Amino acid sequence: MMIFERIGTYFQMVFHLAADPLNIIVLFCSVLMGIMFGAMPGLTSTLGVALLTALTYGMDTATAMLCLLSIYVGGTYGGSYASILINIPGTAASAATALDGYPLACKGEGGRAIGLTTTASAIGTIISMLFLVSISPLISFFALQFTSFEFFLLAFFGILISGTLTSPDLVIKGWIAGFLGLFLACVGRDLLQFYPRFTFGIPQLDSGVEVVPVLIGAFGIPQIIQVLKDRFQIGETQKFQRILPEFGTIIRNIPRIIRSALIGVGIGSVPGIGEDIAAWAKHPERFGKGEITAVLSTEVANNACVGGAMIPLLNLGIPGSPPAAMLLGALMLHGVTPGPMITFEHPTFIMEVAAILLLASVTMWVVGMLLAKQVVKVLRIPVQLFMPIIGILCIIGSYSLGINIWNLYLMLPVGIISYFLIEMGYPIAPLVIGVILGPMADENLRRALMVSQGSFLPVFTRPVSLVLFLVIVWTVVSQFPSYRNFKDKLMGKIFRRKSRQADIDGEMAEEK
Amino acid sequence: MLEKEKLRKADVYSGIVIFLFGAWIVWQASKMPMKDSWGGVQNVWFVSPALFPLFVGAMIMLLGLLLVRTALKTIGLKTFGDTLQWLFSKNLLQFLNTVSILRFYAIAVLFLAFVFLNIPRIDFFLSSVLFLSVFITIFYFDEAALLKKLFFFYLAGTAFFIFYFAVGLDGLLNPLLPFAKDILALGFILGYCLYAWRLIRSSPLLRKKYRTGLIVAVVSPFVVGVIFKYFLLVPMPAEGMVVALLDAIWYFEF
Repeated sequence: MMIFERIGTYFQMVFHLAADPLNIIVLFCSVLMGIMFGAMPGLTSTLGVALLTALTYGMDTATAMLCLLSIYVGGTYGGSYASILINIPGTAASAATALDGYPLACKGEGGRAIGLTTTASAIGTIISMLFLVSISPLISFFALQFTSFEFFLLAFFGILISGTLTSPDLVIKGWIAGFLGLFLACVGRDLLQFYPRFTFGIPQLDSGVEVVPVLIGAFGIPQIIQVLKDRFQIGETQKFQRILPEFGTIIRNIPRIIRSALIGVGIGSVPGIGEDIAAWAKHPERFGKGEITAVLSTEVANNACVGGAMIPLLNLGIPGSPPAAMLLGALMLHGVTPGPMITFEHPTFIMEVAAILLLASVTMWVVGMLLAKQVVKVLRIPVQLFMPIIGILCIIGSYSLGINIWNLYLMLPVGIISYFLIEMGYPIAPLVIGVILGPMADENLRRALMVSQGSFLPVFTRPVSLVLFLVIVWTVVSQFPSYRNFKDKLMGKIFRRKSRQADIDGEMAEEK
Repeated sequence: MLEKEKLRKADVYSGIVIFLFGAWIVWQASKMPMKDSWGGVQNVWFVSPALFPLFVGAMIMLLGLLLVRTALKTIGLKTFGDTLQWLFSKNLLQFLNTVSILRFYAIAVLFLAFVFLNIPRIDFFLSSVLFLSVFITIFYFDEAALLKKLFFFYLAGTAFFIFYFAVGLDGLLNPLLPFAKDILALGFILGYCLYAWRLIRSSPLLRKKYRTGLIVAVVSPFVVGVIFKYFLLVPMPAEGMVVALLDAIWYFEF
């Protein structure tokens, strides 16, 4: 009965949102804007969400979420245009699509590939939305059993795993980025005793580091510098004919779609890991030969990541991907604090988000099918013309959140430092996750120790804490070569013993 | 991102910087109340505001050290010695003079001047038009010689504005001439545009780029600024001559 009631509420929500013409206009405009942001090489859905957050400041929460989630969904899908047509991924999430999409476009099957990515992306988003609706109550229920120790360990695990999986070079660099983010979160008056930390007598630092300007700086400024410094050039766009939804291919590949969606949702729900990694969830042996099913898998996986990233964001307050981190900032601006209490404070919020995801994916499909040929024209705009405008948007966006010029003084240095970090192989996602999860980790660590009178024993006596602690230890230890050598030796010994036993058994059988 | 070998070399230095930064965090945190009283409350170590920064600082130090160790293990002490020598050789100066690095300087100076010098003082629309016209033209022309000339012209103008605000000329001029700094900024924009035109007028392709670039540089701040100022009701960081003019038009019409 409960399930039917939830389904009823869900569809009621969908119709309620779709019945308002203003919502439909916002939906179409945002999806289109998201697709353009995704399609233009150098711009990402994270940047799109970051820049548009300032514009949603005056909107009510539902409309703001409609706008931002549509940009997120559209941006994740839009990256495939540049990947397929010019072999330059519009976003990192669509890098995997370029491997097989571009060869297809060269063979004259660009329209087919775009049609397929459009349908696959919509399906990926819808499947992830189903997971969001069905898993959220369970996660919320478990999260309510958590105490301060669990929340501290969870935040710590989020930073570590994000550092481990997003680092393009050494894992240590990912962890360093995470801890740098945690340091930024320490700036300001501490939450328990109101003691000024790292403020140096500057009153503007007393309230701490504003999350949204840091996010805009960390994602926007390095992007502008990289694109313009390295003289990024957009190549010739491949021509394509009609765009067809490719339902036949979709039906033939249902198991593959489900598998890719599961991987996408799974990767999306890991803190800080986004579409960039989820998209690589396809058959490696068929890489780069114009395999249509590979395009299908990558697009299902990277869009399934959207709903996956919402699961930890809404239920635990831990963003599952960089755009989700931006959404967290936007939600906080609108007075919604994601976490286990969200089901009590805003009982219909998760349903609302799921309804928005459904509407956004349908709109994305319609826009993709009807306007792809027009949207592709944005690929002809030189980056030197639009990147400076993105700079202006970063600046006015950071300033308008709180109408504080101090935000700019924070955003720009963070942006320039992030650029150097990226150049030296440090990932930026863990830094951002660190800034967001820092207050949660700090507050919960001290609260937990206050309750236990300075004892760490509850970490080992509480089952969830113990599991989280062991996972953290394993995450760290498994990165060291000595652990890998030990593991290889151990496995070698076990398998050798097994094979020796098998040989002995064989000899005995022969003797018999 | 740099190549693998260059990355390992850079890791030695970034690791040292990170280690020192961690040490600085620990040092700053050690000044925070650990067991003494703060606000009339006697502290214990586990509720001290220093606890978390100490943990973070110590971890940053440790990871910085690990990074240095890993990098040194990969490249060896001899290669590290070579990079040290390179840092004190003429090659460093040559590297810092490459076009790619000049492009970085240009972007950094443009942003720094826009955020720290122009936005808080000069009318938002004018400072944005200046920022965009310089930013777009120097990169859109896509010629190293032009980039150098135009960047140095902009640098000279910026140096003038720093001098103008630092010695307090603005305070002296403003009572005599309203919007003095905005008029100066407008003059600088026009001067820059004329200088750029003089440099590119012989090339039809660059002339076309110049026109497109300037249209974008003038139109976009007005579109963005009007949305934020009049639709989202966000007051601009500095409201001067153009905002006064727009206010007069907007509130007269509506």
